[in-house]
Amino acid sequence: MRSELVPQIVWCFSESLHLSLREPIRAEVRPKKTSLWLAQIPFKIGQPKKQIVPKTVERDFEREYGKLQQLEEQTRRLQKDMKKSTDADLAMSKSAVKISLDLLSNPLCEQDQDFLNMVTALDTAMKRMDAFNQEKVNQIQKTVIEPLKKFGSVFPSLNMAVKRREQALQDYRRLQAKVEKYEEKEKTGPVLAKLHQAREELRPVRDDFEAKNKQLLDEMPRFYNSRLDYFQPSFESLVRAQVVYYSEMHKIFGDLTQQLDQPGCPDEQRERENEARLSELRALSIVADD
Amino acid sequence: MTNHGDDALSSRTGAPDGDDRLSEDRSLVQQRLAVRELIDTEVSYLHVLQLCASDIRSRLQQLPQGDLDVLFSNIDDIIKVNRRLLHDLQETASREEEQVQLIGNAFLEFQEELEQVYKVYCASYEQALLLVETYRKEPELQREIQGIIEAVLPQAGPSGLSFLLVIPLQRITKYPLLLQKILENTLPDTSAYAVLQRATSALQDVVTNINEYKRRKEVASKYTKVEPLSLRERLARINTHTLSKKTTRLSQLLKQEAGLVPRTEDKEFDDLEERFHWVSLCVTELKSNMAAYLDNLEAFLRFRPQDCNLEIPGGPVVQYCYLARDLQLQAFPEFKQQLEAQVWQPLCSLAKTLVGPQNLIKKRLDKLLDFERVEEKLLEVGSVTYEEEAARHTYQALNSLLVAELPQFNQLAMRWLGQILCTFVTLQRDLAKQVLQRAEDSLAQLPHHHLSEPAFRKLVEDALGQTSHQLHSFQENFEKVLPPPTTQPLLPGAERQVQALLSKYGPGKLYQVTSNVSGAGTLDLTLPRGHIVALLQNKDTKGNSSRWLVDTGGHRGYVPAGKLEVYHVVPSEEELRGQARPHRDFQHQTPESTSALVPSVPTVTQVVAMYPFVARSSHEVSLQAGQRVTVLEAQDKKGNPEWSLVEVNGQRGYVPSSFLARAPSPAPWGWSLPS
Repeated sequence: MRSELVPQIVWCFSESLHLSLREPIRAEVRPKKTSLWLAQIPFKIGQPKKQIVPKTVERDFEREYGKLQQLEEQTRRLQKDMKKSTDADLAMSKSAVKISLDLLSNPLCEQDQDFLNMVTALDTAMKRMDAFNQEKVNQIQKTVIEPLKKFGSVFPSLNMAVKRREQALQDYRRLQAKVEKYEEKEKTGPVLAKLHQAREELRPVRDDFEAKNKQLLDEMPRFYNSRLDYFQPSFESLVRAQVVYYSEMHKIFGDLTQQLDQPGCPDEQRERENEARLSELRALSIVADD
Repeated sequence: MTNHGDDALSSRTGAPDGDDRLSEDRSLVQQRLAVRELIDTEVSYLHVLQLCASDIRSRLQQLPQGDLDVLFSNIDDIIKVNRRLLHDLQETASREEEQVQLIGNAFLEFQEELEQVYKVYCASYEQALLLVETYRKEPELQREIQGIIEAVLPQAGPSGLSFLLVIPLQRITKYPLLLQKILENTLPDTSAYAVLQRATSALQDVVTNINEYKRRKEVASKYTKVEPLSLRERLARINTHTLSKKTTRLSQLLKQEAGLVPRTEDKEFDDLEERFHWVSLCVTELKSNMAAYLDNLEAFLRFRPQDCNLEIPGGPVVQYCYLARDLQLQAFPEFKQQLEAQVWQPLCSLAKTLVGPQNLIKKRLDKLLDFERVEEKLLEVGSVTYEEEAARHTYQALNSLLVAELPQFNQLAMRWLGQILCTFVTLQRDLAKQVLQRAEDSLAQLPHHHLSEPAFRKLVEDALGQTSHQLHSFQENFEKVLPPPTTQPLLPGAERQVQALLSKYGPGKLYQVTSNVSGAGTLDLTLPRGHIVALLQNKDTKGNSSRWLVDTGGHRGYVPAGKLEVYHVVPSEEELRGQARPHRDFQHQTPESTSALVPSVPTVTQVVAMYPFVARSSHEVSLQAGQRVTVLEAQDKKGNPEWSLVEVNGQRGYVPSSFLARAPSPAPWGWSLPS
């Protein structure tokens, strides 16, 4: 019984001492010999000396996150370029339609039957091509651009999750430093009490960080790998859309050239034809020579 | 020659018959002489031409080729035509009776060609003369040229080059005269006469046409070009002459507008002009539309989605990238190039040719006003000045020129336009073929190439739907917020207090202090973070709802409401003792759990032993200083708080509660505690 009483008396004494001293806890900077070895970690106020996250884990995390950041950049760029490309495609088609439309509205069509026939046929062809082009663009919109957008919309959530992990890490570090500080003090009663409390505080924070870390380390590679299956259908659809469109184009313009009775001729011959037409015109006196 | 014999016979008879025959014979002789002259002069003419073309021209090397082309123009063509003419003429020599007729036929045959060939030469003659003048101004050059000419043709004389150059002109105008001479000496009733007559007038026409052509060409070259004059130059050009000219025109125009003077209506010309206007509209519109098309094509080629790198090693993505790169580097640039060379360039050239006729039409209108004025004057006065006559002629030349050539222009321009459009269409078809070929190759390598289009579309839709779900789940996972560790672990003393509050007030009234509260006023409490209190009233006596009256279990007072958080009481250790460590689950949340998580307190408290303790019975358990223990119950079976049931090293037993580290007890009123 004596042995029980003694610690109790000692405890009472230390408690009262503790209360009278009323020492607020302050952060201390303690440069020690060991800090040289830890020089790679700048010994900031409130930083733990122990490397709480192993280097390999950190490296893995950085690597996975880095890959995803790159992927984010690339998908965003791809989406933009795809959109711009399809817009330019539509503009091109529209200007082709304008060519035939303006020709059709020229009064020469009323006078010249042959001209009218040719221009009407051209106009029909252009309008049909424009319709097919619109269809192609719609298909691309549905199967490539929309999915790209959806894929990209996951990244903000990911980035937030990474930020939260970072936050948890900071909390963890702070509390770890606190614990280490108490561990280094002389093991008196109040110190032990504070140490205990600090450890109590640390535990859930550490667990939280570990959980977040693990979750991200699991999910990030899975998400990254999902791109393989995700994008293949889109791009297959893209290739097919081209095939559909250009086979129509080939047919329509092939028919038109037959209708206009223009045999295909090599480039040099066309050049000579053009030269001939020009010199015919130049032979007239009313045409100025330059 | 039997002729002389005949002559001699007829002169000897001296009969009246003989007189006729005498004159007949004389005519015949003259005729034959004329024919002889024609052929002989033709021979020498051709000879001179050949000397010019070959010897002289080749020796005049110090002159640039361009000059030589202007000087000698199409002399080679002239030589060719005349050689053939001479050949035909010489052949007629063998057929005496019909010779004249044959000569006539020959000229009729060559009429067209002669006109074509000589008109070109005559048109450039003026320019050639100008060149000769410039040579004359350089004595050195002049002497050299003269020397060369004299070596070849001494009869050229001192005015060598100009003498030579005028020869073809002289010749073509001589033909009608020569033919006339033969005609005079031919009997009117012979068939030859009619033919010869036709030939003569034909060659007359040739000369007239050549003159007309020359005049038109002069007028055209004067007015087709619009010189880009600056304002200053334009002002400098104004003199009294031009002013009077313009004011006369303006007054004429006004008179017409007012109806005082009838306007010359030329329906034919107006129709022509209208058609020309439409043609030029067609060309300019097509040109600008084509420019827009080419711009859009360029813009389209600027974007390269295939350059994005998704780090996907194979499959359709790679196939597409190859295809797109191929198209962009080969198929499309080729198309663009062809389009520019075979459609755009010709369109530009065509558009440029429009300028000449446009200027001439404008000028014609001006000259028309002059013409009308002059016509008026002619009616009134009866005579006009030389200048006015010239103005009349200019208008007439312009008008006839335009009337003659505008229809041709319209037709040629339309034909060319049609060809350009056809080329455009053909190029589109060729592009489609190129792209299709490559795309189909690509398609053959894709996994679903055997599927029909509708089936494939369905497949893609389904696939995208599935992956969309997967993405959604990823997003949800990332968004899941793990519970922050806001709760504080409760120590044995606190546990007891919580239980007391719970039993007194009920679970809904318990709150936890989220950060340290320092009481300021007399009734305010000072509490550490993590302390559990029970709510008595959610406003103070003055009605301020941000100060709440709470019970700490020992003391009552006010705390700021913002620092209180609802505290969820977790089942006490007694209830949990039977379960197998359920608290672990709360600390290691994994994404697979879908239930909403509630912040909770670890149900088992861990404390630290401060002093060593030796167990003396089986109910007790030994402790070491600083050892971590788990408190299961903060009192013994009799409710004595001095003993606590703990677990350490897997063993359970009682230890003195005072040996365990405790949280600082709730501060009494007014004391502030170190945090």
